Amino acid sequence: MSSHQPVVVLENVGVTYPNGHVALEGVSVSLAPGKIYGLVGVNGAGKSTLFKSIMGFVKPTSGQVLIEGKGVWEALRSNLVSYVPQTEDVDWNFPVLVEDVVMMGRYGHMGFLRRPKAADKAAAAEALARVGMEKYSKRQIGELSGGQKKRVFVARALAQGGEIILLDEPFTGVDIKTEESLITLFRALVAEGRLILVSTHDLGSVPYFCDEVVLINRTLLACGPVETTFTQENLIRAFGGMLRHHRMAGDDLHDDTDARRLTVLSDDERPLVLYGEAGGEKIVTGAKDGKP
Amino acid sequence: MMEMLLEPFSYVYMQKAIAVCGLVGGVSAFLSAYLVLKGWSLMGDALSHSIVPGVAIAYMLGFPYAAGAFFAGVLAALSMAMVKKASGLREDTVIGLVFTTFFAVGLLLVSINPTAVNIQAIILGNILAISDSDIFQVALISGISLFVLLLKWKDLAAVFFDENHARSVGLKVDFLKILFFTLLSATTVAALQTVGACLVIAMVVTPGASAYLLTDRFGRMIVIAVVLGSVTSALGAYLSFFVNASTGGLIVTMQTLIFLGVFLFAPKHGVLRARWRRRAA
Repeated sequence: MSSHQPVVVLENVGVTYPNGHVALEGVSVSLAPGKIYGLVGVNGAGKSTLFKSIMGFVKPTSGQVLIEGKGVWEALRSNLVSYVPQTEDVDWNFPVLVEDVVMMGRYGHMGFLRRPKAADKAAAAEALARVGMEKYSKRQIGELSGGQKKRVFVARALAQGGEIILLDEPFTGVDIKTEESLITLFRALVAEGRLILVSTHDLGSVPYFCDEVVLINRTLLACGPVETTFTQENLIRAFGGMLRHHRMAGDDLHDDTDARRLTVLSDDERPLVLYGEAGGEKIVTGAKDGKP
Repeated sequence: MMEMLLEPFSYVYMQKAIAVCGLVGGVSAFLSAYLVLKGWSLMGDALSHSIVPGVAIAYMLGFPYAAGAFFAGVLAALSMAMVKKASGLREDTVIGLVFTTFFAVGLLLVSINPTAVNIQAIILGNILAISDSDIFQVALISGISLFVLLLKWKDLAAVFFDENHARSVGLKVDFLKILFFTLLSATTVAALQTVGACLVIAMVVTPGASAYLLTDRFGRMIVIAVVLGSVTSALGAYLSFFVNASTGGLIVTMQTLIFLGVFLFAPKHGVLRARWRRRAA
């Protein structure tokens, strides 16, 4: 899968729920392997509906979703798409060990009775090692820290063997250090040719780990590389009045003629910081550029 | 002494009662492992009461009463799912609403047509007094349920744990959920005859609750629950030969005592252990 042909293609996808609620309309977007895509939008913008239509849980009322050229159902059966749930959607008191959760990722490969074969055991062990959790295989899942919990579910997705991984709000309730180590893991996974689609409303972290962004609000607002698409203008279109927005213009910052200005956008997570002259502002990502 | 202890086994009706009780207790306990985890313990309660109108109607029309009970149970489970989806009311409200409605209809039918059913037998159950054909029905229902559970327990666990993921690996989630409620209805009907409608609830909750405190693995939880359920049930039937007491009462009392013991002394999740750990920390 080293080619950069898009593997997930949405053609004019629309979803109207039976109660008449239009969740998505006319979404056309192509996602290529080897990249992390950030799916950004307010709550109720249709992020989860988009996820569900890629996984085949909701059938688009118009348009179609193609995965590696196949219909969604066929893709599901060949375990192409795997899913990492939000931390709060998991019952952490459920009596399962880490290794049991990862083994569930293999169910689609097993027979009628779901008895693991040697290949399944090998795949599960390899997936656990890949996320650095092999030492915790006998722990009950509730005994893990926030970052470890995420890793276990990523391991389940890897064991499933999907080339396409959907992550639902992976950084809620996770501290910055854990977030950074998870980002390193995600980067390594896409470097091997996988495709990761992350739904998030954590604006500040998007430039740190996404290659491209898909901005939606009922319909597709913009899609493209972070540098050119993740702009203030687009974000304001996506979030409307729901963003906290601070701007310090050139004359607030210094007394010379430097027209550069500083813009901070945030909802409730890490803020997005933009700096530069009007129209030519760049995203400031402290860690990446080595600037404060 | 030994002769006295073995005496119940010399009666065919006792042999049957002990075996069937053990089987029903085991299957109920199997299901209890799932119910306890989902917070659906009240479903057992609801279903056991909801089958009363089915029994009443079956008697009136001369059908086998297990068929009527089973039909009413499935109907109740489906109505609960439908009312919940359409109204957005909380689960406990919907369960309370539906099962009392069914139970009321059942009582009404019985009071209008009093000769039809011995309602006492439904509510209290009596394994020692049931007919051979009923015993056969109970054994058949439990046997089939147990067989299906043994085949599909892993799929059901995956659905109960993470429905979305189960769907994404290609499991038929809706089918499996319907299958589970069908098995639950069927087992409730079977257990009804052994311990009665009131105590069915305990049979599909208590063993699972005890097992939950004893292990962190779902597979083992099922094994523990099934062992507890079938041993206490068989023992209850056996003991009722000597003490001339209600079989259901004996079974559920034993299950509760075991739960109390586990609750206090379980190695990892017991109350005393937790207190001791806190003091050590």
